[in-house]
Amino acid sequence: MLPLRYALGNLLARRARTALTVSVIALVVVASTLFSGLVSSLKRTFVTSGNPRNLIVMRKGATNDGSSAVPLEAFQALRFFEGVARGPNGQPLASPELVVQPFFHTPGGGRENVLVRGVEPVALAVHDEVKITQGRMLAPSSGEVILGRGVEGRYVGAQLGQTIRFGHGTWKVVGIFEADRSSLESEVWADVRELGDDAKRSVPYSGVRMRVADGADLDALAHRIGDDSRWALEASRETDYYAKQAESANVFYVIAIGLAVLSGIGAAFGATNTLYAAVQSRRAEIGTLRALGFSRLAILVSFLVESLTIALAGFAVGSLVAALLGRLVSWWLGGIAFGSQTFTTNVVQLRVGAVDLAYGLCLSLAIGLLGGLAPASRAARMRPVEALRKA
Amino acid sequence: MKFLPLVWRNLARNPLRTALTAGAIGLAIALVCLLLTMPNGLDVLLERAASNTRIVVHNEAGLVYPLPYAYLQKIRSLPGVVGAASWSWYGGVFEIEKGVTFPNFAVEPEPIGTVWADWGIDAKQLEDFRRYRDGAIVGGATLKRQGWKVGDRITLKGTLYPVDLQFRIVAEIPNDRAPFLLFQREYLDQALRAAGRGGLDTLGIVYVRVDDPARVAPVMAQIDTMFKNSEAQTASETEKSYFSSFFSMLSGFVTIILIVTGLVALCIVFIAANTASMSVRERLGEIAVLKALGFKRRLIFTTLVAEAVILSGLGGALGALASLGLTQLLHARASSWNSSLGPLGSFIVTETILVQGLFLALFVGMISGVVPALGAARRSVAETLREVF
Repeated sequence: MLPLRYALGNLLARRARTALTVSVIALVVVASTLFSGLVSSLKRTFVTSGNPRNLIVMRKGATNDGSSAVPLEAFQALRFFEGVARGPNGQPLASPELVVQPFFHTPGGGRENVLVRGVEPVALAVHDEVKITQGRMLAPSSGEVILGRGVEGRYVGAQLGQTIRFGHGTWKVVGIFEADRSSLESEVWADVRELGDDAKRSVPYSGVRMRVADGADLDALAHRIGDDSRWALEASRETDYYAKQAESANVFYVIAIGLAVLSGIGAAFGATNTLYAAVQSRRAEIGTLRALGFSRLAILVSFLVESLTIALAGFAVGSLVAALLGRLVSWWLGGIAFGSQTFTTNVVQLRVGAVDLAYGLCLSLAIGLLGGLAPASRAARMRPVEALRKA
Repeated sequence: MKFLPLVWRNLARNPLRTALTAGAIGLAIALVCLLLTMPNGLDVLLERAASNTRIVVHNEAGLVYPLPYAYLQKIRSLPGVVGAASWSWYGGVFEIEKGVTFPNFAVEPEPIGTVWADWGIDAKQLEDFRRYRDGAIVGGATLKRQGWKVGDRITLKGTLYPVDLQFRIVAEIPNDRAPFLLFQREYLDQALRAAGRGGLDTLGIVYVRVDDPARVAPVMAQIDTMFKNSEAQTASETEKSYFSSFFSMLSGFVTIILIVTGLVALCIVFIAANTASMSVRERLGEIAVLKALGFKRRLIFTTLVAEAVILSGLGGALGALASLGLTQLLHARASSWNSSLGPLGSFIVTETILVQGLFLALFVGMISGVVPALGAARRSVAETLREVF
């Protein structure tokens, strides 16, 4: 085998060319990991939403809680169904909620639909991923709201202690909450009755979220709710509900994969070119090596090591730039807004995670391998006599 | 011009390298063209769907906030208003199990023909829509997807209202831009009354058609002033701005796309520059001989740059055409909104984008060729020849 130093030394001997090829691969890695990071961040906001022990109850056929209606009588009966968990004070953990999508105004003069969820205090016990990090929970019937972390600072007055305008009135911001980076962080919570009055809703709730008691069967309870003929309601697992919402990100996956494949092939062509040129200019050297008794395999491996080293260097530079650029974009845009199925704004923090980097690594290794294989095999197939004669 | 064969021969000298470089540039240009359709495609989509004489009036608080039904009459009585129709979201779902749904609204049947004259609904079908209380107008795209035709009967289950409604399809919107189902407001109103829920006294949004595009702004101002300080204030906007508010949330996404496009463009410059410098380096001896024979520096510089420009121009042209073909293919597969492809089918590479892509390629060729060509032209003959021989 040829020593590793030979391959690396060759790269260093042609610095400009190596640097150019590394940059090309780095750029491809930046573009692809950034995009993959965007899509996976978007996906994660939905996937981490929802508790596996929670049910969401909506009207039959409703695809999201923005287009559903649940009457008061139905809620009153549902909360006492067998299998609904109880809180420490014996109160059923069933949270009646109303979803409204009013306009919020950005400081720049734009407007966005924001999901405002009308809740009762029990909501915090049912959505236990929600943690109030600043201020306190809103008090019922006092015109107070709490904001998700993604909403904070995005709109006029969206700061703790300030008042914010939406719907027909103004609301006091008394708290900020986090929710494991899920889509709940893009929501505003208000008192369910006040919100219903403000939006002039004839039906008080759009859905009910309930915690299922430990030991009780989720699906059995869901079936019992669905089979009740008094109201055409339907219960599904909260995690399934959000997984379905995440499907809206699939379009972006198509784009991300197309982007990676196209730019990856382009970069592989570039790498192939560089290595072909390297093989061509080193004919004499290769001939000498063969004459000295190094096997074809040794030469093939050595050239592959060269191209893989270039690819790895490209990945290292690219992932560093991507991570920095991701931070920069997040800081600059304050999160990237996506429309969700409820036509409300979902604020996503762009983060380039381990999975995205792994994706970039695979891509760059594939570029190195594909780009290096043909030139390396040409070098290996060279007959020593000819190579030396031509030189 | 007479040196063109020389340039061509030089390109053909290493066909594999030329092909690989042209391929890399082509792919990158294709990518840039595709990405450029995204911001553009949204705009085209809006231009196509929106009319410049239609206004949308909705509650100032948000689209889901209702307006009193009496507003419709008041708006109709304004000067310059040719017709106005209200749309109220019914939220009906067809086939709950499969989750088949499309937007459906309760409307007044009479003004449909006037307000949406541009839809070109058949006059006879419009007459039927007025006549049958359970009639429904369905968008062409939805009809196609569901395999329905005029005359079919369907049932939608209410998710927002506790009533299910049976419709007969009496008319088709003969284009793919409006995938809606529209039905008579009175039908929903009566069904609600029969269910003991009281009638429908609010509306969702009002579409207003004015007689002259110049009148759009004054009428919008008039409407909003009329309802100022009343129980529900209105916000009027042009149809285009209304539609664009549905897409405005994609703005962050578009920013990322533009960043990525920039990176990819930079990437092509690198690839092309790499190739150009390689081919120049290999030919140093030859170039020195040419100069020794008396060819001017300018000529050598020009032929080398021309080589790079032609190469990336060819690659760029191929890439631009490939992107055109790809979007046409997508368009044929999914003409408007498709559940798996989303709006991708509506993004078409326009002539402007083709020209932009081609110019980018030529520009890249120029940039990538200039530096090595300059170096080669400047190099002293004696020195080069000494090294080579």
